[in-house]
Amino acid sequence: MIIKIDEYSDVPIYMQIRNQIVMGISSGELKGGDQLPTVRALALEIGINTMTVSKTYQLLKSEGYIMTDRKNGARVRENIAQSGVISDENKTELRRIVSEARLSGVSKNELKKLIDEFY
Amino acid sequence: MTWVIKLVLFICIVPSAVLLFAIGFPKNPEKKKMIFGVRDNPKFHEDGPAVKVKAIASSCRKSALMITALICLLSIILMFLPATNLTMLAWILLVFAMLLIAVPFGKGNVELKNLKKELGITRSGIVYTDLSNANVIHSLKLPWIILPNAIALAGAIAAVLIDFGVFGIVPAVEKYALTMLSLSLLIVAVLFVPIAVMMDNTRNMVISKDSNINANYNRAKKKTWADLMIAMSWTNALFLTAFVILFTFVNNDIITLIGFLCYMVIIMAIVVIGAKNQKNVENRYERDTDLELQDDDDNWILGMFYYNPNDTRLNVEKRFGYGGTVNIAHPAGKVIMIVSALLVIFSIAFVIWSAATGHLENIGSGI
Repeated sequence: MIIKIDEYSDVPIYMQIRNQIVMGISSGELKGGDQLPTVRALALEIGINTMTVSKTYQLLKSEGYIMTDRKNGARVRENIAQSGVISDENKTELRRIVSEARLSGVSKNELKKLIDEFY
Repeated sequence: MTWVIKLVLFICIVPSAVLLFAIGFPKNPEKKKMIFGVRDNPKFHEDGPAVKVKAIASSCRKSALMITALICLLSIILMFLPATNLTMLAWILLVFAMLLIAVPFGKGNVELKNLKKELGITRSGIVYTDLSNANVIHSLKLPWIILPNAIALAGAIAAVLIDFGVFGIVPAVEKYALTMLSLSLLIVAVLFVPIAVMMDNTRNMVISKDSNINANYNRAKKKTWADLMIAMSWTNALFLTAFVILFTFVNNDIITLIGFLCYMVIIMAIVVIGAKNQKNVENRYERDTDLELQDDDDNWILGMFYYNPNDTRLNVEKRFGYGGTVNIAHPAGKVIMIVSALLVIFSIAFVIWSAATGHLENIGSGI
């Protein structure tokens, strides 16, 4: 799976990595049980501090997407807990996207099509 | 006998200068991924800029060609001059003069960066990383690099013991020349191991959305580096051993010098083959490249020195020449650069001092 980091983005690097790993899991590019690189390896590969990658992994672990242990490193969880609800944070983000789309003249159907495509 | 030393220096200088020129200043740089250490950009191929790029490339190539031709010409002239302090000093300074070939490269780099600014090309700041390949692509098998260098170490120890008369198998060899020669080769051997490990751990390039292509490309590239370092290590070890045997049992200066000549020729041939293999890998994967590579030109001072305080990596792939270099912003990189610069300065100072005190003309008769 290819991760794309934008050094000039307003989104912090740890969040960019987190978002792309989540998208990778959702799209099936990363499957349950897949091994993720070690913190040091990924930090070296991107050329960032190990603390940044560590923060990403801690966040992913706390959100229940990955599991980490000393022996096997970080792996994608086989069974990701499905709460069935959208978090408040994501609701606000979705609202912003829908609002911007409406203001840009994007129709509801087009937006639905996009959701179908990404889902 | 000085003619053999001259021949050794000639073989060191002329092919190296020609190789530096050929690698740094290809005929059609506008068709390459990198032009004088600046990443190629679609805007460079538009009508107006294309003419400018061509003009910059051809002017820098001309300057580099003149410097290379001058170095080769001076080497040929020096071959026919008698070995005096002055001519030997000129020979050794010619070795350092090869650094001048990098000057037009740096000039081209600065001019192209200015052109980028003129065209409004700003760096994208996009970095791609392949999660599947992070730190798992290696081609170097450590025993293959350690074994020849261990043999070189054993050979150097034997040489010192023989030279100092500890091994009484033969009378002590004169003037510790064997110690000098074997320790010089051992220093080279000692350098091969960290360089090989460093090259094997360079960051993997992401050229495609397909992880398998990225893995194969990086594996192939690292394999050419590993093969090069292993071949050089074995050559070094075998020649060191051969020199110890020659000095001990034959002790014929001419044979030893001819041996050294062969050593230089083989090392040069290995470097040329390595560079060619690397180029073949690049050509083979060119059509598989479907991602725009990161534009980090601003971090390359003159296209040769990598300085990026935001990058935690120590070693990166070179843009001028072949192999790797260090990130000068990294604390270890700073130390390596300072030590390298001091080594060059001290070497030049030592050579000038040797010439001033009349030691250089004895090189041929000292062995």
